[in-house]
Amino acid sequence: MTETPKDEGYRILRTSGLTMRFGGVTAVDNVDFELRDGELRCLLGPNGAGKSTFFKCLTGQLVPTEGRVLLKEQPITGLNTHEIVNMGVGIKTQVPNVFDGISVYENVRLSARRKHTVRIARDVAEATIEKCGIRHLIRREVGQLAHGQRQLVELAMVLAASPDLILLDEPAAGMTGDERDRLAQLVLEAARSAAVIVVEHDMQFIRQIAKFVTVFNRGAIFREAMIDDIMRDRAVQEIYLGKQADAAA
Amino acid sequence: MEKPLTRDPGFWIMVGIGLALLVLGPIFIDMFTIMQITQYVVLSVFALSLAYIWGFGGILSFGQAAFFGLGAYTFAVSSISIGDTTLPLVLSFAIPAAFGVALGYFMFYGKLSDVYLGVVTMVVTLIFWKLANHTAGPEYSIAGVRLGGFNGIPSIPTINFPGQPDAWLDPAQLFRFFMAVLVVVYVVLRILIASDFGRISIGIRENETRAALLGYDIRRHKVIVFALGSGIAGLSGAMWATYQSFIDPNAFSMEMSAKALIWVMAGGVGTLLGPILGVIGLQWLTLKLGMMELLNSLVVLGAIMMVLVLALPKGLVPTVKSACLAGWALWRRGRGVSASAKKVTSDD
Repeated sequence: MTETPKDEGYRILRTSGLTMRFGGVTAVDNVDFELRDGELRCLLGPNGAGKSTFFKCLTGQLVPTEGRVLLKEQPITGLNTHEIVNMGVGIKTQVPNVFDGISVYENVRLSARRKHTVRIARDVAEATIEKCGIRHLIRREVGQLAHGQRQLVELAMVLAASPDLILLDEPAAGMTGDERDRLAQLVLEAARSAAVIVVEHDMQFIRQIAKFVTVFNRGAIFREAMIDDIMRDRAVQEIYLGKQADAAA
Repeated sequence: MEKPLTRDPGFWIMVGIGLALLVLGPIFIDMFTIMQITQYVVLSVFALSLAYIWGFGGILSFGQAAFFGLGAYTFAVSSISIGDTTLPLVLSFAIPAAFGVALGYFMFYGKLSDVYLGVVTMVVTLIFWKLANHTAGPEYSIAGVRLGGFNGIPSIPTINFPGQPDAWLDPAQLFRFFMAVLVVVYVVLRILIASDFGRISIGIRENETRAALLGYDIRRHKVIVFALGSGIAGLSGAMWATYQSFIDPNAFSMEMSAKALIWVMAGGVGTLLGPILGVIGLQWLTLKLGMMELLNSLVVLGAIMMVLVLALPKGLVPTVKSACLAGWALWRRGRGVSASAKKVTSDD
């Protein structure tokens, strides 16, 4: 995947002039974004750059103030969340949205059940739980789990629906080193059968999975380039890594 | 959680108790007490209507009385004008359920938040109450039955055998019929809750955002749950009307809505047994307090409610259940069973 994604043709996701304003604040500012089928894209950017708001516009949780979103070349702006999701989108939100009061198994099964019959949903749920390495938690109530484990449960819920476009908002947050390595494997594996966008701050994690990267700053696309170029880019370092260095100091 | 309903001993015990009371109650218990229990049975059906939508659909309605009253008036008007009670019983479910669909459509497709949902349901109840109170004149009659304003509708027929308008149920038969209704409502709700539809409802209760992000249409789901609860509340209203053979606008009162909330809260949100126990316990207490004539029973009930909320915030049944599970775990540990076994128990 070394070619740049600028050729014409089918795009699983396309936004044009996407803008989201909250009162006087412009959280997403005139974003033109394209994602090819089966691409794995990392989204970088400091806190408040508009990455999560961008995701919410893609899933219909927010209706953009201006601009268009095309999913599989179909306009989805203004559709309800469940309608967009049923077109084949899965999202892991920044703060895990899981069913706290019920078991891990039931969480994942309810996700698989949307698409499959009872029997197949059961098998899919079990296989996905196994794949995500949370078999030992299968009967636990999700509300009792640690943050990293909840992240994996939510990821399993997303994967169980086998979407064509997967959005992952800070999936590695709160994870131990082992969990993060497993997550990287899962993301790479998922990217073989679906397009994936990952928002993440964890640079070690990014290095494990990233190829082509989009950098957000102040709601707009700041750079789009291969990860190595991004890492060398002084301007990116200033807005993003520089800030991290400041915060650490 | 994933245990099938047929393997849940609690379910069979509840159905067993219900059927045993149905068959043996009128044989071994005196008629006065039976009629007293009949009242609890009717109110239990009402309590279940809220227990379902609140505990298993996450819909906190302050307006269950609107549907209770609607069912009661539907039954009163239609049974007096038709002269047979079979169709009116069906109508007393269907009309409130249809109204529940309409109201639910506006509330859930309008994406009202929980607080506004509470306000809207409460206001709808008040409107019904006001309206029913203002129907005193002869011009307010439906199918020749005068609504009677604040005087209400008297002489509501007792339930008769289907197609035999003169074959009324005697009090023992009425008790058996109502008990059967309660058992059927309980069984239907348990089956529904255990089904995938019910599990998705629980998912919506736990996290609406995630339910939508999995691709479930939460609005449609909530309308169905709400309408079903409305229908059951309406049915209990009809049972109340025929039990009392009289109905007045107080069926629509805030007190009726509040009572349902209190029963469910005291018994435990998220259970069906709890609200039934709530009805029995609190209604019995109201009766006793009323007979003492020492204190206003509402003041005492209010005080009990406050204590319950502070001491048993989850309600009676969930508290007792977790206490039993903890006790069971302690007992097993005391017998030297390893700590891991205890963990499995507490994970259920």
